[in-house]
Amino acid sequence: MRTTNDQLINELLTITEASTAAVNKFRTLSVNELNYKKDDASWSVLECVEHLNLYGDFYLPEIEKRIALKKTASPSGTYKAGFLGNYFANLMKVQTGKIKKMKSPKDKNPAGSQLTATTLDRFLKQQALLTTLLNKALQTDLVRTKASISLTPFIKLRLGDTLRFFVYHIERHVAQAANVIAGKKQ
Amino acid sequence: MQQPQSFFEKLKGLMESSGVEKNFSKGDLLIREGEVEKHVYHVTSGLVRVFLLSEFEELTIRFGYQGSIINSLSSFITGKPSEFYIDAIRKTTVRMITREQLLALINESDENRQQYIHTIEIAVTQQIEREVDILTVSPQARLKRVLERSPNLFQEVPLKYIASYLRMTPETLSRVRNS
Repeated sequence: MRTTNDQLINELLTITEASTAAVNKFRTLSVNELNYKKDDASWSVLECVEHLNLYGDFYLPEIEKRIALKKTASPSGTYKAGFLGNYFANLMKVQTGKIKKMKSPKDKNPAGSQLTATTLDRFLKQQALLTTLLNKALQTDLVRTKASISLTPFIKLRLGDTLRFFVYHIERHVAQAANVIAGKKQ
Repeated sequence: MQQPQSFFEKLKGLMESSGVEKNFSKGDLLIREGEVEKHVYHVTSGLVRVFLLSEFEELTIRFGYQGSIINSLSSFITGKPSEFYIDAIRKTTVRMITREQLLALINESDENRQQYIHTIEIAVTQQIEREVDILTVSPQARLKRVLERSPNLFQEVPLKYIASYLRMTPETLSRVRNS
């Protein structure tokens, strides 16, 4: 995909704002609603959000580090996705309507972990940090700055793709959580 | 001559006679970040924890054992939103009174005012001691300091919270205990 830095970051900021607003609404739900699981294999709202927290624990410090070490060349203004990065980002992107089921890496599976009242608060703090980092990314070369992925340190993606992947991943699981609530109400 | 009641005893007496009792299940919050602390709590049974929440972790600041008086003190004093969370580590019962009730107790007599001042002085020295805890480099030394104050720490509190309170990983805590 081809776009400009500004357009890319602004799109990601908009999605991030929407994800934050959605999770803010979850704070009004009861503990039972937040822990409700349709069946053993499906995640509750808190499990969806904790999964995102676990990803944030890796990606936010990584993104912050890479922006701080950024390439000094000024951004050209045009953004072009890398092949692998584009693949990961598109894998995460919510296509209107359906959310395809996908297996999570074992260390990012929240099922069974202790989920508390602070799970949502922690996510909202991560969103605030993400927004700050996205704004810093406006001044960063999103092609030449590379960031590691959580699966292995040997693969690095263009920062622009890392940000796309990360933001779309959040959007995906927030939608999943919203579906859990909508499903329960039926 | 009867020993004058300490301020804490008077406070607990007030809580018993005029305070509200509240029950918490394990994991319930007494107060969350952003709320203003309007109460002071006497932990009549169970255990509570005061902590800070960052993007990445919960940082345990203090424990409220059975028999202790606790709250989000800076918020209580300043009226500003609390930076801290307090949660029940186990099933807990508290008795709580409001700031107004506390101030009425303090202002009831000169003796109460004196005793309250003394209580605050003790609290300040405890904060300074805690400050030294945090600045102590050696994990062994940090553990030793805290065990001197709270010898039953490991019987009362789950390990992961102890590690956070001592500012070390659970692995380091294990290593330090076994050495």
